[in-house]
Amino acid sequence: MSNHNDQGKKSEETPEAAREDRQAEKKEQPSGRLAEIRFALYLARRNPLVIAGAAISIISILLAVFSGFIVSPDIWKVSNLGMRLCWNNPVINWHISSVATCSGTEVFPLGTDAYGRNLLQMIILALPLDLETSFEIVSSAFLIGVVLGSAAAYMGGLVDEAIMRVTDIFFAFPGIVLAIVILTVYGRTLPNLTIAVLVVWWPIYVRLVRSQVLSEKEKPYVEALKSTGASPIRILYRHILPNSIYPVLVQFTLDIGGVILVFSGLMFLGFSPDPKLPELGNLVSDGIQYVFTAPWLVIFPGLTILVISLGFNLLGDGIRDLLDPRLRR
Amino acid sequence: MKLYEYVIRRLIFMVFVLLAISIIVFYLTRGTLPPASALAPYVTPKMTDAEKLGVAQSLGVAELGCPSYSAYIARASGCIVPLYQQYFSWLRLALTGNWGYSQIPGIAVGTTTWQLFSDRFPYTAELATVAVILTVVLAIPMGIISATHNNKLPDHASRITALAGYSMPLFWLGFILQLVFVLYITIPHGSEQIGLLQSSGTLYTQCAICFSNPGSITAYTGFPLIDSVVSGNAAYFWDSLLAIALPAFTLSFGTLGALTRVVRSSMMECLRQDYIVLARSKGLRERTVVYRYALRNAILPALTITGYIAAALLGGAVIVEDVFSWPGIGAAALDASLYLDVNFLELYTLVAAVIIVVANLVVDVLYAYLDPRVRY
Repeated sequence: MSNHNDQGKKSEETPEAAREDRQAEKKEQPSGRLAEIRFALYLARRNPLVIAGAAISIISILLAVFSGFIVSPDIWKVSNLGMRLCWNNPVINWHISSVATCSGTEVFPLGTDAYGRNLLQMIILALPLDLETSFEIVSSAFLIGVVLGSAAAYMGGLVDEAIMRVTDIFFAFPGIVLAIVILTVYGRTLPNLTIAVLVVWWPIYVRLVRSQVLSEKEKPYVEALKSTGASPIRILYRHILPNSIYPVLVQFTLDIGGVILVFSGLMFLGFSPDPKLPELGNLVSDGIQYVFTAPWLVIFPGLTILVISLGFNLLGDGIRDLLDPRLRR
Repeated sequence: MKLYEYVIRRLIFMVFVLLAISIIVFYLTRGTLPPASALAPYVTPKMTDAEKLGVAQSLGVAELGCPSYSAYIARASGCIVPLYQQYFSWLRLALTGNWGYSQIPGIAVGTTTWQLFSDRFPYTAELATVAVILTVVLAIPMGIISATHNNKLPDHASRITALAGYSMPLFWLGFILQLVFVLYITIPHGSEQIGLLQSSGTLYTQCAICFSNPGSITAYTGFPLIDSVVSGNAAYFWDSLLAIALPAFTLSFGTLGALTRVVRSSMMECLRQDYIVLARSKGLRERTVVYRYALRNAILPALTITGYIAAALLGGAVIVEDVFSWPGIGAAALDASLYLDVNFLELYTLVAAVIIVVANLVVDVLYAYLDPRVRY
């Protein structure tokens, strides 16, 4: 919480604080915010893990966005049984005696699956669904959190009580179990999967935004704004929220990775609308029956999930450290 | 406010939360459920239609004036009791422990849902307990070392481990561990090589690779580890321990990060306090300062997180149970989901919610008891 307090001081609403901050850094910069960004970039350079996280996140997003250009979107419907379960990668030797040796000149960097499809291409094709769903769920949770959380904190009283008690109820739900119930009753479709995860994901954002707004609205600049006659909506959305949003953005970044885990986990458990759909959890679950003959079918899709999730977690963790002045020096 | 007043207030609020959860679960599961499925757990196929209608009426899902079973199935007007009335009869049945018969194939016919749940629950509880113990044993030293060696190699190592735990797809970790410990790392056993650790089922369904023939034990509590100790069957105990090692480690790896992070930050906070400076300036050994002075205060937030972790694991380790074919409630819930056994899912959700709510209360009260600064 205190990290955002300090963050709030540095924003444009409090010029004195920003000036103090600049003096403290002994740097003459044209604006407080620019100095802040440059300082954050300087700190990021010293922290290789953040760079790695940012790189992984950006690469995975780019791969997902352009996956339709990199691989043919129809590849998951094609099967080439002559090439099933091959490991035609001369660079890495797998040392498993039971690996099928497929004659052919085509190189498969990560082998082929039971339908003779290139596993690397399948993984790239699977990225958009995972990332897109994850962004959808987290952004919706974020929006719900901002609207409900700021309303609860700013209006207080009965509204606060009502919103927070509903949040408490959803906090008492066992995460994945509620998702399973929803998918069982309403069917295993993609929209239902998204809603099922969202239902258990939004409460944390309400709590987070509420606690941020609560501590922010007691600041002197809010008092000053009130005395100038600014409308409450304007104060809340133009001044308080921008100042209290940073920790929520950190949570957003961290949750992208978390939601991918839950989503692919549900797909793995068999809640996929179509078991053949290219999705990372599905790919792992497909590979399991061949785990002795072709372990790469399990290893690489799962490793992809781990790497992407780790990337977003490293990035979020790094941003948190950058925003927290106590951990900077 | 006194502590007991606080507890009473929380207990009252808890009842409301659980009622709200039961309403949500009821409407979620029953809102679109076909009448035949709603009735299925309470009837046997041998019953005549008239008997089935009688059951439906006694359960409070069919109106007394309903002419025939087929009319009830067809949702004829004047046959289906409104949902909010159904809720009250459902709640009455639920609270008396009548959840009907299990609909999952492969479970002995005539097993009640409650019986199935209470048979399976000890396995989940045992797995969760071992996982929580592992988490605490691994995460607290990691957090302390991280805090005392801030920004040095041990700190980085433990932070990366924690982050990897956060980011790990547990279903995948489970399989990789099984591959490594069951297939790749082998030890000689008689004339052949067998896996170092026995996997509890998915990769090897038969117990042909068991280390021993552990025989059987009497189920006093349902917890294999405890029962084998009580029965004095060391081989069974050893086999159960081997079976639980991988799933428990997988579960604890996923929760490790949260606890490590809390221990690290609260330890760093404590080490900055004045009384630590005083202790150091008195010339106390660093070990004494860290473990006798700082740790006692730093451990309190860890307690809270451990409580939440325990509740979450007890309430559902669905993925890990599935990967390791662990016969717990999570795996049973997946079967129930496959065969639309909504009664089991309702029971599961409600029990998990009770566990979570009670654990939160226990943690808060314990916190107030242990830390005199916390007052309500």
